[in-house]
Amino acid sequence: MKLAVISCIHGNYEALNTVLADIDAQQAEQIYCLGDLVGYGPHPNAVVELIRSLDIPTCQGCWDEDIVEGLNACECSYPSQLAEKRGHIAHEWTNNVIHPEVREYLATLPMTLRLDNLCFVHGSPHSQHEYLLPSMDGFTALERVLSANAEVLFCGHTHVPYVRNLEDGNLGIRVQQPGQDESIAQVQIPLKRIINAGSVGEPRHGRPNATYVLYDTDTAQVSLREVPYNYQKTCADIIAKGLPPIFAWRLARGMEFAERADDPSHVCQR
Amino acid sequence: MQSQWAILSGIEGNLAAYEAVLQDIRRQRHPVTELYVVGDVVGLKGDNEAVIRRLRSHSSSSGASPHPGEFVPQVCVGWWEEQCFSLHGFSGVLNAPELMAQFGSDGVKHLWESVSRESVEWLRSRHFGFHELDCLLIHGSTVSYADELTPKTPAIQLCDRLIRADANTLFCGRSGLIFECWVEPSMLRSTVTTLDGVQDLIEQGKTPRRVVGVGSVGRTPGQATYTLYNPANNQVTFNAVSYNSVKGFGTVS
Repeated sequence: MKLAVISCIHGNYEALNTVLADIDAQQAEQIYCLGDLVGYGPHPNAVVELIRSLDIPTCQGCWDEDIVEGLNACECSYPSQLAEKRGHIAHEWTNNVIHPEVREYLATLPMTLRLDNLCFVHGSPHSQHEYLLPSMDGFTALERVLSANAEVLFCGHTHVPYVRNLEDGNLGIRVQQPGQDESIAQVQIPLKRIINAGSVGEPRHGRPNATYVLYDTDTAQVSLREVPYNYQKTCADIIAKGLPPIFAWRLARGMEFAERADDPSHVCQR
Repeated sequence: MQSQWAILSGIEGNLAAYEAVLQDIRRQRHPVTELYVVGDVVGLKGDNEAVIRRLRSHSSSSGASPHPGEFVPQVCVGWWEEQCFSLHGFSGVLNAPELMAQFGSDGVKHLWESVSRESVEWLRSRHFGFHELDCLLIHGSTVSYADELTPKTPAIQLCDRLIRADANTLFCGRSGLIFECWVEPSMLRSTVTTLDGVQDLIEQGKTPRRVVGVGSVGRTPGQATYTLYNPANNQVTFNAVSYNSVKGFGTVS
């Protein structure tokens, strides 16, 4: 079965529509969404309504959570003060325009979705706020996949798509306890994968095109998709809605200079 | 002369157990130069205020004179301290839901009544953990004060905690157990593919590192356990101390 996995739409209706058309053209049989339907972009209600109308299984992202729970992110959720300031403006705007039924729907979204040996999360199995960057220590990344009890872990949140193969894992453990014989074990870990779906509505890979992934459950083949769309229209809508113009600027370039976390693996405890 | 660190956890208000361990520490052939208490100073069964007074009495900053020949314990917070912070509104989570779930309203009431506001404020000023040399001393792990590492914890999870800790030895006390788990992440091949193509294969082997459970001073009446660590030779020793839990300490096994 061919799956399409999308993430981080961020109220960008134009990008979502184009990506859905591309998914249709690629003949994917099922779509999964990794959350962050809202925030930053100008059309949060329309995006949620479209996702709902298509019955797309969706995890809750950190932005969706904030709209439900109220802004409760500690400073560790933002990698810089600048990003935090912009994030608060976007949250406030979204919170004001969101429809009650949309808020209710976001509250129903699960943290994790599963399909056989595949697991779908927004950030990581431990937190919606954790960034699984491709540069993360390999054993740390492996722990995330194993803790989800999965062969393949799909995530988003970083807005940059990638596939990471972790193979030939070998871990020795020796346990000593008073009054007991020493135990020694060797753990062999076969291939595990992390697949980051990138971002439909706020890409940060250096180009303005929307990104998502296709995955074939029969062949385990992954395809990173980059789809041009009319980002100028979304940029114009950002300005027209009174959102900070910087959101349009970065959307047109596919980058966010402020998103540089000192500790991207930090797990927020709040 | 070789010196050692004594690493304790889980006094849980048990003053007799703590005094017994202190006496055992003083008897060591290699002198103990550092005393760490990695959380759970208070609990439900003992005299929490008496233990806090005793810990504070080690420090001249408390106003009381330290006992002759004693060292100042370095104390970090544990699960029970976090419950106090929650009850007293010092943490992001109010009304100690973890405590309530595990010990019910009686547990909440007892902890509230057995630790004064002043003592909670003193506990609040303790550290979350200590990085010394290539060691991290902490109650749970850097993930959480509630993170309970045991010999049965999956190897990959122990490995993750060690990498997060950025330490070769992670001393922890949440489980109350004494154990030494050596983890050797010997091999992993990582390949990343982005929109720009396949990046170079990275082979990620690491040197062996370990998680040490330091035991519990006060959890089991009459039997305290704690850990000695010799930084010069990297050796860990576990000590068990028997004491009379009614009348006080005495016998050392």
